[in-house]
Formats: sequence, structure tokens, C-alpha cells
Amino acid sequence: MQGLGIFLALALAAALPAQAQSQARAPAYPPDGPAIPAVANSEDASGAFGQEFKAPPPPKPWDRESIWNMKVEGFDDNQGRPIYQPLVVHQGSREILYLGNLGGNLLNPLTGKTEANGTSIIDVTDVAHPKFLHHIPGPSGPVAAAGAQMVRVCGGDVLPRGEKGKWYLLRAAGNVGPDEAQQVWDVTDPTAPSLLTTIVSGLSNTHKNWWECDTGIAYLVAGSASDGWHQSGSKQHLKIYDLSDPKNPVYIRDFGLVGQEPSADVATAQPCAKAPGPNCYEGNMNPPSGIHGPISTGVTANRVYMPYGVGANGVIQIVDRKKLLEGCKHPGASPDCAKSPTQADLLYPQVSFIAMNRENGGHSAVPVLGVPMPEQQSHYADGTPQKKNLLVVASEETANNCMGQQPHEAWILDITDEAAPWPIASLNVPPMPGDFCEKGARFGAHAVTEAIYPPYYGRIVGVSWFNGGARIWDIRDPKNPLPIAYYIQAPNANTIASCATIDGVSKCRNAAQNDYVEFDDRGYIYAADRSGTGVTILSLTGDAAKAVGK
Amino acid sequence: MTRRLALVLLALCLWPLAARAGDPLAAIVPGRTTKAELTALLGAPWRVVQFDDCGDEMPGQADETWEYRGKDSAGPYRLHVEFDDDGTVRLVAKVPDGGSKSATAKVAPAPSMKGMTM
Repeated sequence: MQGLGIFLALALAAALPAQAQSQARAPAYPPDGPAIPAVANSEDASGAFGQEFKAPPPPKPWDRESIWNMKVEGFDDNQGRPIYQPLVVHQGSREILYLGNLGGNLLNPLTGKTEANGTSIIDVTDVAHPKFLHHIPGPSGPVAAAGAQMVRVCGGDVLPRGEKGKWYLLRAAGNVGPDEAQQVWDVTDPTAPSLLTTIVSGLSNTHKNWWECDTGIAYLVAGSASDGWHQSGSKQHLKIYDLSDPKNPVYIRDFGLVGQEPSADVATAQPCAKAPGPNCYEGNMNPPSGIHGPISTGVTANRVYMPYGVGANGVIQIVDRKKLLEGCKHPGASPDCAKSPTQADLLYPQVSFIAMNRENGGHSAVPVLGVPMPEQQSHYADGTPQKKNLLVVASEETANNCMGQQPHEAWILDITDEAAPWPIASLNVPPMPGDFCEKGARFGAHAVTEAIYPPYYGRIVGVSWFNGGARIWDIRDPKNPLPIAYYIQAPNANTIASCATIDGVSKCRNAAQNDYVEFDDRGYIYAADRSGTGVTILSLTGDAAKAVGK
Repeated sequence: MTRRLALVLLALCLWPLAARAGDPLAAIVPGRTTKAELTALLGAPWRVVQFDDCGDEMPGQADETWEYRGKDSAGPYRLHVEFDDDGTVRLVAKVPDGGSKSATAKVAPAPSMKGMTM
């Protein structure tokens, strides 16, 4: 029964007319809707071994751009602000790029004022000539509490109780501090956004939210010093709201891993794997690490994928969405299930979890469902063509110059048997050639592409690799993913230097760091830089274009 | 008020000797120079950055960084200044714009750098 919803979603997608599936702008896929694109097999039984494999070419010297099977289509300097997350929205007749920025401040040439880094809004309809429209400042006050790193956008035409024609932006206002918040802005006119409401404030931590546009359910990553929850590392868990009417948020519940609940006795808790009981914790860390950023597949597939731990002590959790949202109304729920759930309240919606080793954390967990296994189109199982549900997981590198940590990579997990997720392949970028550990800044995995663009879905996936650039893999043979494209930005006059002390010598060096790579609904790829180097718009060429049927 | 006056006098004293002479590095002492003193010396920074994106998940990367743009005979550069939690300069370097040439930094005698600073 556990996978029934997923297979219903896939069946629904398969039943859609081919023309509808090719209409990439139709707002039907998560987070806009519940449909999952159907993925057709495009390889013979030899899979990746049947491909003419070409090894990635070595990158050029550090001060030069390196690019393979991609083409630069456009660029915007984002006023020199360091970017965390890009999101492209087909908004009316335009393509609007929203950028969540890291903390800091800088002059906004449009206003002539120095503004705390917040949310940048750029019209990328014409990718060759992006137009910076507006910057919504982040919270004022200490720089350490600033930034607005995360952004999600829903249309009023899709939200159940949104105002038709309106567009709404959900963002974390501030990152770590005594009074961080989650906000909704009206961005119908992207040149003149207005604050609609503050969903919740007084938070100590925020991070990467998810917002289902077709239902309005928002999974906010948040925490506060007074909420009583327990987390190692980032002090954040989930606060779930109904934002179907974005002007009037309705609180649903808090949620996290067993061992994070306020009633947990951290001092005496034991690992659930060794000592299952009323006071235990899931994973390898007591209390379990904070959540980073959930992804919901919506009402039909009915799953929420939750990575915990960022770059260490990770856990990947699979949750039944319906039970998560309705669990506190369940007859067996505890009286204070929403704010202070019991262990049983937290276990009720949990489908499964897999604990990572201590040197890796859960930064991204992106589902890719119904991917054909080229070598299993006959002979295996009942002889019929086999598909797998996959979860692409990344652990974030958090140190400069590869110091003090093991390498951070990404993996493909087989989650077809949801009760027992299992890694089947890794996505890796070696430090040589390129000498990335000496290049300055971070080198390692960060985030996985999240946007669903059907021609790419189940065929390619991107992972940001900091100074190793934006990396693209061909995953049509999921057990044997092939690197097929990369883009490594050259440092420019806005690139923030990264400094490190090694063997007693402190040096600083300019190094671009790809923080996020993301797709839009036209197939363009956005490489957003963490070091203030700007955002580069790319397209696929050569073998990478062939992999997606171009 | 007295402190502000002292800062202005300090700035007037140091400016001709260091910054105006094209070597602001000489006027900034890691472990001693504060944000207020730096502001008095060089004015408001061109850019302020704080890289922390996960709170205390990434200790050592939360240092507030100020940057000043400048130009000397070698070309445009940025004065890159990192502060510790109490607002004292921890690290300063003069980094050429663009390119990837490394610049040696002056650092405060911090107890534990561990090669993980940003």
C-alpha cells in the first residue's frame, strides 16, 4: 500500500496526452500540482555502458571560465550580492528569476540606498538581456541575523483561496538570530512587491521551505529558542501551515524526527536502533540534527522527503503526507500533538528513514519517480519493463580548502521499496584535475536541482559543487550515472575572496562558488554564485543536449 | 562623545600615514582594530557579507566580512576585512580584483583557526 499513491501518480501522468506532457509551462507538477512526469526509456539494455562515454575535460586555470557541453546564454551580477537559492517562475507572460541572498548589505543602484541582502527579482524573459527589477531588502539589524536565503512563489490562480491574477512570494526573513521570520509578499507587480503578512516571527533559525501551490500547504523550516524542540546543529524543525489563503495563514503542526520532540529527555535518550522505547532518538546523533529542506510530491504521490543534518550526522526520512497533515486529528493523537507531539505522534506519519554515516548530512533529498532501468526492460522480475523510484541526496561541504572534513558528495537512492531505501550510485567530482582543494573556498556537493522540467525529468540531474561549478549528470541508467556537462564560473571584480589558514599561513583568494544550479520551464539552467559573482544562464549543448532528446 | 573624538583624531593621524599613502593595510591591526575604528579610518564599507547559512552547523564561517574597493599601481583591489564575534578585526588582506592570485593575509593570533575560516 505504501507505494500505491506514487504509482497512481505515475499512472495519471502516463494517461495524460503527450501534448499536455510536453507543455512545460502547464502548472501541473510539484510544487504547482500533483502530477509526476512520465519517464520513457531511451537507452538500450546496455544502459550507460552502451553510451559513447567521454570523460569530462580538465578545467581551465582557476582565473578562467570552464564550460563543457553547455553554452552561456546570459548573466546578471545581482548587484554583487551573494546568492543562496534561485527560483524561476513563469509569471504571466514573463519569466521571473527570484534569488534568495545570503546575509550582508550593499548599495542598491535602483534606490541609491544601502540595503540588507534580501530577495532579488530579475526579469529573464530575454535570457540574453536580464533586467534587474527590484530588491526586497532583508531584515535590518545585525548582519549575522540577516539575509533571505530561501524563496518560493505561488500564483493566486493555483492557490485554492488565492486572489486570481495575484502572485505570492514565501520567504525566510533572516537566518540565525533572535527574531527571524517567515513572510508572504505580494509580487504581482515584481517591480513593486508589498509585504502581505508575517506568518511567524520570533524564530531563532529559518531555512529552506516548500510550498505546495495547488493546496497551499507550506512546510516551513524554522525553530525558536522557546519552542522546546531539540536539535543538534541547526536549531530547526518543521512548522507546517495552510497558506491556501496567503493573507491568512493557518497553523497546522510542528514536526521532526523522533528524539527532537519537546518531551524527549535528551540526557538519557538512547538510539532507537539499540534501545527502542519511549525515550529514544532516530539516527546517529542525540538529539537528531535539524531538518534542512523538505520536498513534497503533493496529494497523489502523497510523500514528503525530509533531509536532516546538512553536512553531518544525516538522516533521510520519508513521510506519508496525508498522515502528516491530518495526524493530529487522528483518534490516537495526543492532546498537544501539534506543538508538543509524543513519540507516537511523530511515528504515525513516518514511512521509513535511513541514517547516513556521521561524516555526511542530508542537505537535499529530491525524488525522481518512475525512472526506467534500461538493463531491466526484460528478463528481470516478471519480465516486464522495470522502473524505479529514486531519491537524489546531497551532503553539503561546509569547509574551505577541503580542510577538516571528508569529501561531500551526492547519491542516488532506490526508494522503490520505501521501507528500505538503499543507495545504488554516487555522483562525484574528483578534486583533480582542477586542483580544487587548493583553489580557495569550498569544494564539494551542495544542492540538487529541484524544478521539474519534463524533458529533463528522469534523464538529467544537476548538483552544485561550489568551486567545482554547476555539474550535470545523465541518470537515464540510474545505477551508472554519467557526468555530461559542467560550468565553472571565473572570478570577477565582485567575487568575494575566501581565506584560509593552512600550516600557519593565511591566504585569501577569489573563487566563484556555485551555490545552487536550477532549471526553468524552458530548459535554461541557472548557476547562482555564493561568492557574489552573479547568476549565469546556460543551455545544454553536445552530448548533454542529446541526453534530453534535443 | 570623547571616544568618538578620539576616533576621529586617530583617523586623522592614521589616514595620511597609511590609507592615503596607499597602504591601508598598515593601519589595520588584527586583534585590535574595531569596527568603529575601521569606519572612522576608511568610512562605510563597499560591501558587507555574512556567509553563514545554517547557524551553528558551520562554526567558523559566520565571520562578518567588510570589503573596501581601492586602486593602486598594480590595479584595482579589495581590502578584505573579517571580524570576530566581538567586532574586532580578525583578518585583513588586500586582494586583487578578479583573477585567482592569492594574497597573504594578516591575522590576529587566534587560538584555533584550523584552516576552516571563510
